[in-house]
Amino acid sequence: MRISDVLCTSLVAMALGVTTARAEPPVIEVGRPFPAIAFPSIDGGKRMSIADFAGRKVILHIFASW
Amino acid sequence: MVGLIQEQHPDRCRLFMQWKQMDWPVMVDALNRLEVKAVPITVFVDEHGIVRNIPGRRGDRAEMAAQFAAASFEAPARGEPSIEKPDVAGMNLDELKRAKAEALIIKGDLALLAALNAPDGAALDIAIESFRDALEHHPNPGLTHFQLGVAYRTRFDSAYRHADDFNKAIAHWQKALDLDPNQYIWRRRIEQYGPRLMKPYSFYDWVHEARSDIEVRGETPVQLAVEPSGAEFANPERTFTLDDEPRENPDPEGRIDRDKEGLIRAQVIVVPSAVKAGRAVRVHVLMTPDQSPRVKGHWNNEVDDTVVWVDVPVESGWSVDKPYLTVPRPANTKSAVSMETRQVEFELMVPEGLAPGTHSIPAFALYYVCEDVDGKCLYRRQDLAIHVNVVE
Repeated sequence: MRISDVLCTSLVAMALGVTTARAEPPVIEVGRPFPAIAFPSIDGGKRMSIADFAGRKVILHIFASW
Repeated sequence: MVGLIQEQHPDRCRLFMQWKQMDWPVMVDALNRLEVKAVPITVFVDEHGIVRNIPGRRGDRAEMAAQFAAASFEAPARGEPSIEKPDVAGMNLDELKRAKAEALIIKGDLALLAALNAPDGAALDIAIESFRDALEHHPNPGLTHFQLGVAYRTRFDSAYRHADDFNKAIAHWQKALDLDPNQYIWRRRIEQYGPRLMKPYSFYDWVHEARSDIEVRGETPVQLAVEPSGAEFANPERTFTLDDEPRENPDPEGRIDRDKEGLIRAQVIVVPSAVKAGRAVRVHVLMTPDQSPRVKGHWNNEVDDTVVWVDVPVESGWSVDKPYLTVPRPANTKSAVSMETRQVEFELMVPEGLAPGTHSIPAFALYYVCEDVDGKCLYRRQDLAIHVNVVE
């Protein structure tokens, strides 16, 4: 991805409200939607978020290898 | 099952997943954008994106998972978003500032991703600039300091490293932790490179076993872009351990010629960047042949190993775990010359009751180096200044 692509992608994403520029800190709380943040995939592929699993239940394991 | 890792180096987690034969989709949150303060955390999210359970350590997780899988959940009522969306029109000033800072963070995040996929110095510079700008606006500057540290460390790990990137990473992580001392994720990032007395466990001692087990299975281990350093393998200790073997200063009168040509560039990084009296620091010394237009040098591998001596006078009250360190010449090479960065690490114990301020510990490196221009091979000494910032 070139620099110009980075800048263009971020501007378009923000304009569409897709990659959300949040006004509140993300909250993980029972009963609330999981924060809509997109993260890089570990295999270097496309960015992912919980929304990619809409329609399926997810057990999300937040961890580190250490 | 979906994973989300909180780690600076995602390829190390890929190796871990290969070792444990985990085949879930995994996302990378190296920037701690989710702002979690600890790991591991398990979250059950239903088909509408709503969090239904955050199981603690107690209870039968398998049973909870089975119950969750069998349960049915109603979709959110009409008008309530199932996935959060911002309401920009209703934001107050603080919220707008956060949104602006978040936009800069997204820009920096994308730039870092671009740089990781295709190494690009300009993308790394954009990332660092974006996080620096975000600092001015973000209501949680601790988080942005942490993210700026991640960006500096990412550039340090790349071919576009600036001399002070590692130091700046540590400094920003320390600022982040000073602002929120209960942030476990930020604390671990410093402990990863810090002294053994500060470590909760060894961070990457599993790497050797993982590679061995994977090879036994007939697979090729995931290649790591950056190998863990000594600090990242080191085990925690509860007492400051000194090297038993008596050592002597290899150049007590300073008679070895100094590297005035600047053929080797040395960097010194002290972790943590601020320490109280009576605590330990880990010192990282990195030495790289200078390849600037002005001077060019390379290591000479035909003679002896590179040596670092840490000159701590007994009466000073300071202790060093290993005053005499050697960096062996590269293994498995027949080349008489090489250009790699050579690194040593050692630990210093700050004396109890030492007054706050910057304290300097003398050290020097001795090495065999050749000039590229006229081919002269030299034995040189470079004095190193170890500056330790002692705070109250």
